[in-house]
Amino acid sequence: MIRVLLFARLADLAKARETEFECTEEGISLNDLMKQVVARFPALKASLAQPQLLFLAMNQEQAWLDEQVKDGDEVAIMPPFSGG
Amino acid sequence: MIDSVHTQTKAVRIQTEDFSVEEETRLLHGGDGGMGGIVTFLGTARDFSKGQDVSRLEFDEYAGMAEKAMNALRDKAMQQFDIINMRIIHRTGSIGAGEQIVLIIAGAAHRAAAFDACEWCIDTLKQTVPIWKKEITPTGEFWVEEHP
Repeated sequence: MIRVLLFARLADLAKARETEFECTEEGISLNDLMKQVVARFPALKASLAQPQLLFLAMNQEQAWLDEQVKDGDEVAIMPPFSGG
Repeated sequence: MIDSVHTQTKAVRIQTEDFSVEEETRLLHGGDGGMGGIVTFLGTARDFSKGQDVSRLEFDEYAGMAEKAMNALRDKAMQQFDIINMRIIHRTGSIGAGEQIVLIIAGAAHRAAAFDACEWCIDTLKQTVPIWKKEITPTGEFWVEEHP
């Protein structure tokens, strides 16, 4: 399973803070995983269509769309930060 | 009990409860006679935003990664600037207008490095630490996504 976490505005839009996806042995690209997230949460379509405005992380480290996600990974999809 | 005391003395923390600037400054100084300047940045919750009243802020965070990013920030500041010590405390949860949100304290032998480190740290925190604030106003709730 791949665990996907959503935060702030994205969690509100999806009405979910986390979800899980089945994963094959060879894994899936982060880009393809994002498409599966949109299929599950259509309300995220517009936000995830502009990944350059998002911050992506895999296992709590910054990640890029062409990276491969494997079974057991934790992926976070985050809007721009606004702490402080 | 020992754990909770230890937690409160950690130089980098995310917590819902308020913090004491005086106590954090005392911990930063730690009786170091070589410290000649301490610069404090204290971020507080404004009661207005874009012409609207804001009654309180609600914070979301990526627990674990946020603390890791703040620790990395302190490590980098300690390497990059000629400072002796730094503390970074960020509150989350629900914070009323006027309350304290974030504290960054830098102590150095001379003031210039402490000013530079403090400014760099709050600017970088806003861009690299996965924390988000939502403004609660009379007309609705709005996530903030820019870095003023």
